[in-house]
Parts: sequence; C-alpha cells; structure tokens
Amino acid sequence: MSLLELKNVSKIYGELKALDNVSLHVDQGEWVAIMGPSGSGKSTMMNIIGCMDKPSQGEVLLDGVDISKESSRHLTDIRRDKIGLVFQQFHMVNYLTAVENVMVSQYYHSMPDEEEALEALGRVGLRERARHLPSQLSGGEQQRVCVARALINHPELILADEPTGNLDEANENIVLDLFAQLHREGTTLIVVTHDPEVADAAQRTIVLEHGRVAREVINENFGK
Amino acid sequence: MTKRRMFLRMITASLLRRRSRMLIALLSIGIGATILAGLVTIYVDVPRQMGAQFRSYGANMLILPEDGETLTRGKLTESLASIPEEELVGAAPYRYVRLDMTTRQQSFTSAATDFGEITKTSPYFSVEGAYPSQTRQVLVGKEIAETIGVKIGSTMELTYQPTARASNMTPEESRVPGATLSGSAEGFGGGIVYVTAKLDENAAIASVTVDASTQTPEYGGRIPEDEAFMNQFAGKTLPLTLGDGMDALTGATVTSAAVLEALNSATEVTAALTPKTLNFTVTGILTTGGEEEGYVFMSLEDMENMTGEDRLDVAELSVSANVEKLEGYAEKIAAENPGVRARMVKRVARSEASVLEKLTALVFLVTLVVLLLTMICVSTTMMAVVSERRREIGLRKALGASDGSIRAEFLGEALFLGLLGGIMGAILGFVFAQVVSVNVFGSSITFQPLLLPAAILVSMAIAATSCLMPIKRAVAIDPALVLKGE
Repeated sequence: MSLLELKNVSKIYGELKALDNVSLHVDQGEWVAIMGPSGSGKSTMMNIIGCMDKPSQGEVLLDGVDISKESSRHLTDIRRDKIGLVFQQFHMVNYLTAVENVMVSQYYHSMPDEEEALEALGRVGLRERARHLPSQLSGGEQQRVCVARALINHPELILADEPTGNLDEANENIVLDLFAQLHREGTTLIVVTHDPEVADAAQRTIVLEHGRVAREVINENFGK
Repeated sequence: MTKRRMFLRMITASLLRRRSRMLIALLSIGIGATILAGLVTIYVDVPRQMGAQFRSYGANMLILPEDGETLTRGKLTESLASIPEEELVGAAPYRYVRLDMTTRQQSFTSAATDFGEITKTSPYFSVEGAYPSQTRQVLVGKEIAETIGVKIGSTMELTYQPTARASNMTPEESRVPGATLSGSAEGFGGGIVYVTAKLDENAAIASVTVDASTQTPEYGGRIPEDEAFMNQFAGKTLPLTLGDGMDALTGATVTSAAVLEALNSATEVTAALTPKTLNFTVTGILTTGGEEEGYVFMSLEDMENMTGEDRLDVAELSVSANVEKLEGYAEKIAAENPGVRARMVKRVARSEASVLEKLTALVFLVTLVVLLLTMICVSTTMMAVVSERRREIGLRKALGASDGSIRAEFLGEALFLGLLGGIMGAILGFVFAQVVSVNVFGSSITFQPLLLPAAILVSMAIAATSCLMPIKRAVAIDPALVLKGE
C-alpha cells in the first residue's frame, strides 16, 4: 500500500526548476534513500514531503491526502501527526534536557509523558543521559536524542535529512541500527543522504539529478 | 504530566537556563517598573507633599477686622475654629505700631506677634541669633540693625508716643478733669489752626497752646505770642463763644474764631496714655529680603503693655488646603464672626495651584515617556531574543507547534518576566520614591498596598504589549529555511 505518492511534482523558483516533473511512490513500511549531488533537488523534495513547503505543480499524496493544496496551518497538523523529522544538525532546544527535548515533541502532538520519553531515550541507549543539556552531550548522542524525539509519537513516516552527515562511523552505525530497528517495526523511512553507505542500508535508492529522478536502484543485499 | 505543567517547565527552563539573556529582559522591565512605580507613588503623593512645601512660602489667608471694628486676640481664636485643626499650619497675629527710639531720635514700625506662630507661617524667615522667648525681648530687622548699629544682646529703649486719638469720644465726653484735648479748625485763607488744652481738676481750662503757623504772620500768626488773647482762657469752661467773655484779636477775627472752634471741637488725646517707655534686649537679627527687615518684632504682651490695647491689625494664616477650600473657609469665618473678614491671599493660593498642576502634569509626562522607553527597551530585547532563537522556533514549528503555541510560549515568558519585573518594580520603586521624597521634599511617604498588584499588572501588560512585534516575527519564521542553515 502506498504511503506517499508524488505525481508530476515541480518546484519552480523563477527560472530555476528545483524539482522538474518528479513522480515517485513509497510504500508503507518501505525504507527509501534519496541521493544526489548538491543542487539536485533533495532538500526541496524533503521540504515538500515534510510538509514545510508546497510544490508549484503536481500532487503529493501522503496517506491518501493531497498535501500540495493544504494551508500551512493544516500542513503543520499533518506534519505533527504523521511525520518524525531527523536533521543533519541535530537541532535541539538548547536549554532543555534530553528528556525534555523528547517531551516537547509529545507536548505539541498530544500529552507530555516523561516515562514514555525516558523509554524512548532508553531505546537509543541514552536513558542515563536523560537529564543532560544538549551542550553536555556529544554529537552522536544529540542525534540519538533526535531519533528518539522523531519516533516518540509513533509517526507513520520518519524523514531524515543527512542524519549521519555530522557523525563519526561508530555513531553512524548506531543510528543506522536504530533505523533498521524502526524499519522492522513497520515504520516507513525516507533518508536523504549523499553517503553511499547510508544509502546502501536502505531497500531502494532514488537518485536525483537536476531536479529529476535519474535512476532507481533496488538494494539486492538488503537485510543480509 | 499535563500540557500546562510542560508549558510552565519550558518557560521556566527558558528563563532560568538562559539567565544572562533573560536577566537583561528582566532588568529592562524591572527598571522600567521601578521608575514607573516610583513616579506613580510620587504622582499620588505630590499634592500632599507640595501642599506641605508650599506652606513654607508663607501665608495664604488673612484675617482682618471689618472697617470700624477691632480684631482682638479672642476674636481671632474664635475665627480660627472655622478651619480644621489638621489643615491649619499656623496663624500669626500682627499689630503694627510706630515706636520711637528717643535715644537715637529714630522711629520704627514695630510688629507685635506670636513668635511660635511666625515660625510656622513664615518658615523662610532667617534669624541670626534666636527668636525672643520671653517678654522684653525683640527681634530686629536687618535694615534697622544696620542703620542704628544694634547687635544681638544690645538693649533698645522704645517709647510708645500716643499721637492718634485714643478713643472715639465726642468733644463733650472728652471734657473730663485732667484731660488733654486737641483739635483743629480752618482759619484764614484755608490754613489749619491746631490747638491743645489741658483741663484742671474741675474740668476748666488750665492752659492752651496754639499752632497758627499757617496764618498771616502779622495778623492771625501773632496769636500764640499775644498774651492778652492767650490769657483769656484760664479758668473758663468749654465751649467758648466770641463776645461771651472772649475777645477776638484785633485784625485777626477769623483766626481767633478758628482757635475757639478748634477748642470747642477738641477731643481727648491722652487721658490716661502718657508716653510709655520700655527697655528691650535684642535676641536676634531677621533677614527676609523683604519689608520685614525694616521692622522691630516684639511679643503681643509687650505691645499691649505699651499701648494698653488688645488689638490686632491682621492675622496671617497658613492653611494646607486648595483654592476652593480656602474660599470656603474665608466665607465661613466672615459669616460666623461679625466684625471679622477673611480673605485668601490669591497670589499665593493661585500660584500654588498652578505650580501643583504643572508639577503633576510633568510627573505624568515623565511617567508616559518612561513607559514608552520601557516598552521600546523590552521590545528590542525580546526582538533580539527572537532572532537569537530563530532556530529553536523553527525546530518547534517543525515538530508541530502551531502559531498559537509559539505565541503562547513567548507571551508566557513575557508575562512571567512581567510578574518578576513587577514585584521588583514595586519594591525598588517604593525605595526610589522614598529616596526622592526624602531628598527633594524632605518628608517620607507611606507604602501604598495597592502598588504591588498595580505594578505587577502594569509591567505584565507592558511586557505583553512589547512582545507583540517580536511574537509576530517569531510566528513568521519558516522552519524549512531555518533548519537548513548551517
């Protein structure tokens, strides 16, 4: 069953076509990597899928709903309910502790629940560090908190933008393991990356070039 | 955990863990609230403060006798009953009499008064030495002291020479044994002829003196030297008529008739009031910069002793009340005390009111400006806070914060700051007002219990209003743009 479907989506900034007639579909529970050089339209696609931007043309169906025509207020609701975001710069609220950062996501979604937030931190191996401020955590730890925050509301889709771009190999592996775990639990994952190793972890890789889908690669080795 | 508790936790964490930033915002609100609370306290207290201050610029009301009436000390006391005790700062009675200092052949206006009251109605009097504290002591105006060279501790011999008619007796009533009579009448060519007569124990004329210097020297002017004419009076009783035992001086019939007419209309001057001389000790020299420097001040008791009269010319009152009230008191005094009138010293009362008005307006204006400055300051600080937290706001929006949540969070922080700033403002503002009051007005103020809630409410309102622009900016932040940035 398809969770996300892009139909002839274009995003045009004046003369520049950041996305040029892209069509794409992602099934429920699928793990997809999006690759491409800088300026290929990765970020634009990520923003559109993440309900932070709207396409100039085309349709975007998320869980059956066309989000290309929604108001930004509605987009906020959809993003909150269906999507968990992980960023390259592991953005955290710098004056809140790890567990509080996870709870912020709960707060906007439904009800803050400290126990549940601590459990989520436990899943990413940071239960002991729950009371630390971001400045007291390493980059890898911060990104793990961000993963915990992304999964806390059980989103249907986790959208990660270069999640390992600022991490060393050990932390990269931890994050990829977490993704694999989430995938096994049935969460749909879309990971934007230019690291081939990260792309290789996914089931399928979509390569963008000049705002178009250049090719799709099915990872034969997935799960082995 | 409820959403509200998480909300409070986020807000307090933001304020407590980002101390230096929030301290600046808190300071700007707190200082603003302090100055505002201080000014408002002063504003409320200004009329009272200034009222007391103005009372140091002298009397603002006068009590006077009606024409032909006499104001006595007793009448004054009765009149003062019309003014509430707590509003009457002081009431200084005055009696002005010309006294002679025979040893120096000088005469001065002497003001008899109550020195205890003078210090209240005329606090600007500057006395070198001391105010007289008992009878037979005088306070000498600087001008006089310099003219005649008296110093503190000097003795002054002052004489009361009764020149005016002592009473309103008719000529007939005046012709008592031993009386001295004086009179005048129009003589030749309109010149006035003056006479004095002393009566003997039988009320007959003992002696007569005539001043005919206004008359023609070779005719009427000769009368005082003409023994035949002058000797006619002894032993006669008034009134006198020409032809009836009295002969006119040849060639000066008109003047002779004038002398008789003057005698017939003469009234008693000094039946019991012979000149009275007392010795006084100078206790102080008075400097005021005004006409008081030409007066010699003594107690009412001494003046009564010298003149034999319980009589006041005026009483100067210092009343702590506004123009309307003063007018009311003046009317009441006149209505309840026949023979007495009271009037407001308009110049003082009106300038008091206008200065008060201007001062109040000034404090109001300054308050307004401070309010505006505080708002600009808080607004700028919050604006800086918003730009500093762009990423955080973007992140919150990406995590699903609605515009309303962003607004609520910033407003919550602002109100929290307002609360703290308001408490700080109320306490420091009172201290500020107290310091200003003590240093400027020289009196302390009482803490207004309403100040605390008022200061808190106002500073919360300021904080909230100042945050409107910054919040607008925060809401406009695009999460996609912010989160992409390095």
